[in-house]
Amino acid sequence: MSVFDGLRFRMVSSPIHRLDPRAKFFFVCVMFVIAVLFNQLLPLIVLFLIQMPLVFVAGVQREWIRSLRGALFLAVMIFVINFVFAYLSPGGIQGIEPPVDTLPEYLMLFENSFALTLRFVVLIESFSVFFLTTSPDHLGLALEQSHVPYEFCFAFTTAVRFVPVLAEEAQTIMDAQKARGLELERGNFIKRIRNYIPILIPLIVNAIRRSLELAETMESRAWGATEKRTNLYVLRLKKPDYVLVMMSILMLVLAVYVRLFLPVPPLVVILQI
Amino acid sequence: MAVIETKGLTYTYPSGKKRTLEDVSITIEKGEFVVLTGPSGCGKTTLCRCFNGLVPHFYGGKLEGDISVTGLRVSEHSIHELARHVGLVFQNPENQLFALFVEKDVAFGLENLGVPRDEIRKRVDWALQTTGIENLRERAPHELSGGQQQRVAIACVLAMQPDVMVLDEPTSFLDPSGAQKIFEVISELNKEMGITVVLVEHRLDLASRYSNHVLVMNEGRVVLDGEPREVFNSETARLIGVGVPKATRLSQVLEESGVDLGRVPVTSGEASHILKEVLRRD
Ligand SMILES: Nc1ncnc2c1ncn2[C@@H]1O[C@H](COP(=O)(O)OP(=O)(O)OP(=O)(O)O)[C@@H](O)[C@H]1O
Ligand SMILES: [Mg+2]
Repeated sequence: MSVFDGLRFRMVSSPIHRLDPRAKFFFVCVMFVIAVLFNQLLPLIVLFLIQMPLVFVAGVQREWIRSLRGALFLAVMIFVINFVFAYLSPGGIQGIEPPVDTLPEYLMLFENSFALTLRFVVLIESFSVFFLTTSPDHLGLALEQSHVPYEFCFAFTTAVRFVPVLAEEAQTIMDAQKARGLELERGNFIKRIRNYIPILIPLIVNAIRRSLELAETMESRAWGATEKRTNLYVLRLKKPDYVLVMMSILMLVLAVYVRLFLPVPPLVVILQI
Repeated sequence: MAVIETKGLTYTYPSGKKRTLEDVSITIEKGEFVVLTGPSGCGKTTLCRCFNGLVPHFYGGKLEGDISVTGLRVSEHSIHELARHVGLVFQNPENQLFALFVEKDVAFGLENLGVPRDEIRKRVDWALQTTGIENLRERAPHELSGGQQQRVAIACVLAMQPDVMVLDEPTSFLDPSGAQKIFEVISELNKEMGITVVLVEHRLDLASRYSNHVLVMNEGRVVLDGEPREVFNSETARLIGVGVPKATRLSQVLEESGVDLGRVPVTSGEASHILKEVLRRD
């Protein structure tokens, strides 16, 4: 079941988990905007560090590191591509007189590419903080209360509900087919993909049957009886949520101010390398 | 007062060539505990689907004859209107729970009906309490055993306070002790709250003790309709291959070998009682 472990939300409770998903989402959006505003290394490092306390308070370090590791390959690609292209046409980068040939110029180039990579990492970071600390149930509720059509919210929470069930089913089918002599790890790449067909077909057939039964149950419980559906739970913004929103707004204002009126020098210049 | 009444009910699935239900005419009275049984594929599930309008509204196909449930003609009312009066519990408990928490699932029907929040809260608590699963309220469905899941499914239906509860082989995925618990819960709803129960079941040994009306179907027709004692003891039931309760079967075998018990037992308790009497008499 290891493949699907990452998809299964673990019920933990922390001050971060208890925040309203809407407030957290606003925070993530602000982080996103600020990250896009800057392409210098210093503010992006600040942005990266600002979110660390959230990760630790929520106690999701391990999952968080895992998601960053997942983004490693893309990050490296971004770095390499930026570095190579900036080397080929370095025009516009502060402190570089083409062609790139002195050590300070190489450092500058390095810093520039690194900053763009860090921007990507910051985006990944803030989204993973959001998804690692928001229960799917809360998220579904937040969607509902943000006037997203109920059908969509229902589909979302139901999908999450059935992930462990389908994972278990996939495992059972895999074991059954292996017992009949199916060898999954044999052959070349194409062959290996083909090996999975005897697992996918029963899995899909079962899923369709399951969805029919679900539909029948939903109908039997008055699905679509009224336009005005009520809800057992409501999300209300509480004090910590307002604090988070205020802080986000403050950061956004500050960032816009810095961007417009304060030139941010490259780290290489500040450290006088 | 008849809660469910059908007259000459005949139905064919859109993809089917054969009639699945043929000329079904039954009457179920308020407060009855009906056991519906018959060989696999005889149309029990299809008949249950007629009770809340899944047939024909969800499945399509051709429905002839007349069926009314709590005075509403099924062909003229939508499934969600009928859902207020008839609750269906299905065979596979896993596919009847789709929320991330038990409590939320139990609230689902009421939310759909637009019941105010305070009222939902009250009824959910009541339904959880009545089915004895208050302690599970914040658990995720995949953490529950089959028996627990099925009790949640019953609570989901119960929260909507139906007049009739239809359960289609609710225990076929469960072990005997889980099944026993489910039957007890159902029987209590029937006795304490006067909810009419229609239970589809193969394991008649366990179920028949609670029932006071048995229907036996075969190839789309209702072939036996009456008191449990009378139905189980009939020749037809044995020929069709209905799982006649062992106690009843025992009395039949005894009778064949010349021992007349005088009465026909349905449960093992009854059988031992009657046997004791007979032994004392001799
Ligand atoms: N959705 C459907 N479409 C077409 N035919 C169906 C459908 N569902 C059931 N049938 C057919 O109708 C007949 C009766 O099926 P039904 O499920 O009502 O039997 P059942 O008595 O509930 O059997 P079981 O004891 O196995 O649950 C069967 O021959 C079956 O093939
Ligand atoms: Mg059936």
